[in-house]
Amino acid sequence: MGFQILNFFKFSMKGLMILLLIFLSHSVAHSTSSSETTMHTNNWAVLVCTSRFWFNYRHMANTLSLYRTVKRLGIPDERIILMLADDMACNARNKYPAQVFNNENHRLNLYGDNVEVDYRGYEVNVENFMRVLTGRHENAVPRSKRLLSDEGSHILLYMTGHGGDEFLKFQDSEELQSHDLADVVKQMKEKHRFKELLIMVDTCQASTLFSQLHSPGVLAIGSSMKGQNSYSHHLDPDVGVSVVDRFTFYTLAFFERLNIYDNASLSSLFNSYNPNLLMSTAYYRMDLYQRHLEEVPVTNFFGSVMETIHTDSAYRSQSNKKFGGPEIKMPLDQSISDNDRRILRNSVDEDQPNKLSTEENFHGVGQLWNTIISKVNTFESADTFVCYGLGSMVPLLIISVWLSS
Amino acid sequence: MSTKTETPVKKKNQKKIQCFWSWVIGSVILRLIIIYFPKNLNLSSRPEVSTPLTSIRRLAEGYWLKQSSMSPYAGSMYHGSPLLLTLLGPLTVKRIEGQPDHLLCSLVFVIADVVTAMLICAAGKKLQAAYSSSLQSIGLHHLSEDSDILPSGDFAALLYLWNPFTIVACVGLSTSAIENLMVVVTLYGACARLAPLAAFGWVMATHLSLYPAILIIPVILLFGYGPDAPPRKLFRQRTNLEVDDSASGDRSCLEDELVNEKRMLNVFSWRPVVLFLFWALLWSSYVLVLCGIYVQQHSGLQEMFKSTYGFILTIQDLSPNIGVFWYFFAEVFDFFRSFFLIVFHGNILLMILPLALRLNHRPCFLAFVYIVLSSMLKSYPSVGDSALYLGLLGLFAYELKDMQFSFFLFSGYVGVSLLSPVMHNLWIWRGTGNANFYFATAIGYACLQVLYLFSLISGPLLVLILLLSLFSLLLFLN
Repeated sequence: MGFQILNFFKFSMKGLMILLLIFLSHSVAHSTSSSETTMHTNNWAVLVCTSRFWFNYRHMANTLSLYRTVKRLGIPDERIILMLADDMACNARNKYPAQVFNNENHRLNLYGDNVEVDYRGYEVNVENFMRVLTGRHENAVPRSKRLLSDEGSHILLYMTGHGGDEFLKFQDSEELQSHDLADVVKQMKEKHRFKELLIMVDTCQASTLFSQLHSPGVLAIGSSMKGQNSYSHHLDPDVGVSVVDRFTFYTLAFFERLNIYDNASLSSLFNSYNPNLLMSTAYYRMDLYQRHLEEVPVTNFFGSVMETIHTDSAYRSQSNKKFGGPEIKMPLDQSISDNDRRILRNSVDEDQPNKLSTEENFHGVGQLWNTIISKVNTFESADTFVCYGLGSMVPLLIISVWLSS
Repeated sequence: MSTKTETPVKKKNQKKIQCFWSWVIGSVILRLIIIYFPKNLNLSSRPEVSTPLTSIRRLAEGYWLKQSSMSPYAGSMYHGSPLLLTLLGPLTVKRIEGQPDHLLCSLVFVIADVVTAMLICAAGKKLQAAYSSSLQSIGLHHLSEDSDILPSGDFAALLYLWNPFTIVACVGLSTSAIENLMVVVTLYGACARLAPLAAFGWVMATHLSLYPAILIIPVILLFGYGPDAPPRKLFRQRTNLEVDDSASGDRSCLEDELVNEKRMLNVFSWRPVVLFLFWALLWSSYVLVLCGIYVQQHSGLQEMFKSTYGFILTIQDLSPNIGVFWYFFAEVFDFFRSFFLIVFHGNILLMILPLALRLNHRPCFLAFVYIVLSSMLKSYPSVGDSALYLGLLGLFAYELKDMQFSFFLFSGYVGVSLLSPVMHNLWIWRGTGNANFYFATAIGYACLQVLYLFSLISGPLLVLILLLSLFSLLLFLN
């Protein structure tokens, strides 16, 4: 009799496990397919110049030009990661100290008032590049050097320098290979670090660099195809070196006509490249990108025009995941009180505050904790509650001492 | 007890008290004067004063992070308690026109110092009362009356307030002032047998910095036995002598004396201890709930414990301070790192039990020795920690007046506190020295503290042996 009960118990356990597995796989499927339903939250730009030495002035000017454009169209410095491998503005060979030009008419000083370089000099290497993209940093790396994107971010990744067939050269001493880049993008996708990604590469044989990509939501354009070189646009006789590359020059020519409110589409950008003028074929890859390029405005990546929603309460950042992995949780106790505060909210994959993860094992404690939290949220903020709690410790102490003496 | 012999003693006490308040006010004024010096004389950036655990700048950074809706422990800057953040955080931001920065924080630390001194004074009074009553109970009436025992509580309070280390720690805006306050609250609560107060102090002190947790043993002993008393052997000797003096040889008389002796002996009473533990549980759950609410938006209590206790135990930050661990862990291989962490922390833990066995009849002194031990061997020591035990020395000044090497220790402390900033300057600012210069002063300081500890609890011969062994060790290392 007891043996039968034990057997029944075992069966029910197994049944429960199977049900659990089904449920988990269901939620996994839900979470992976939910990328279409995630809301676009912000735009990020990662602009990388990988070459050093004075004669690679044009790569620096390329990156700084893109930086200026992206800032002009609305992305703030805190969402731009600018990586410059060498210092051209204050180089000893620069005839115009603290000035970087991308045209021989010297109309624009790219190194103007507020240029924030996040990674400079020898910090620009493959390791740091991959750390930035995947978000796997040491503890003490400051926030300004991190790519703090979340699952609704659109990221522009611009790389320029010397490259070749399936590689990009960093600092004249190491290289980033196309499968490295594909791997990094795959990691980013796994960790929900972007919604859409645009990779723009301006090097020789640029399009080979993104040949190995296979993550959805990625759009890539390179300045030349396999076997072709990318050329510089013109030489500045005053500065003494070439000051801009052709691909970037024509990209900028496209953007200089725009302002923050224009909605020129990506397809118009991509079709504006004339192979005769570029002296190479700009090749783009859109098989991983679901949307039609005619419908996507360039400010989707290059600018930052977003709908803002006014809220009175303090902003509670959505992605407070420290370790970045997708936490597949069974929605046990939904803390309902947070509902009205969270305006930018997903319908499917709730990012449950990770605070509940440790208490989930202890149901009773979890319930108690939730009641406490819901009571706390009736206050304006947890901080004032803690302040009151701290303040009330003193009279409590005095009363207890008086009672016990 | 005749009134004639009492009044001169009382007069002496009263005379001391008059000067006492003026000295206290004088120390407060001195602190305020130094605070008004430009930028606090840069004391808050000295490594001897501010460690990663006690620095006010890190607290301000943690507060800013919290205000920007991030976890205050992000980026490994702040490693203290969230409650301190609630208390001092808003004060670091408030700026009053024309006054020095962080004025309000300095005022909080000055108040903490003064309250600590008052509590030391009160604890000293309780200790003295217990001591004199125990002396009277074994018949040494004359000792308790006509000797000019200075009120050790007042003396200790003034010593604490006027100690240059305390002043520097207060003006340098180190949060060790608040930690010291909590430790002294524990001691006072235990001496006065106020279970809620002692439990509150112990819980807060452990919460702020991990090491006062070892004070639970002397506190339990204090609750069980009562404040310091001479050893039981002395009791037995005294009663035996009295029995012999009576010279009656009566059996029943002897038995009566034995019964009396048992009553006089300090019996360990469990009830106050259980009360203390109950209050400790209550206060610790209260504190944990408050902290949990404070950090629940970000990553919860786990991250808080990892950043505070985990940081203290794993010594992640190796910036130089007046301790010896930073130098050692900068050169240890990763493979052996956990081993050496266990060894160094075990150094404190292994000394707890023998000391408790040796000094169990003097729990207040045991607490003092534990404080010396933890200030010496903690992961990030600072002068604020030594300020506490140098101040508490005054409580036991009467018993320790025969301490060996007192002049040597005093000049050692003066020497180290003068040399250490010089070596730091040579190393960091001028670049003409290297880390060994600064580490030499740190090692000298550690040896000094070891010598101090040993001269507290052992006889002169043992101290001599220790000195010889220390010298030989130094020679061997060099």
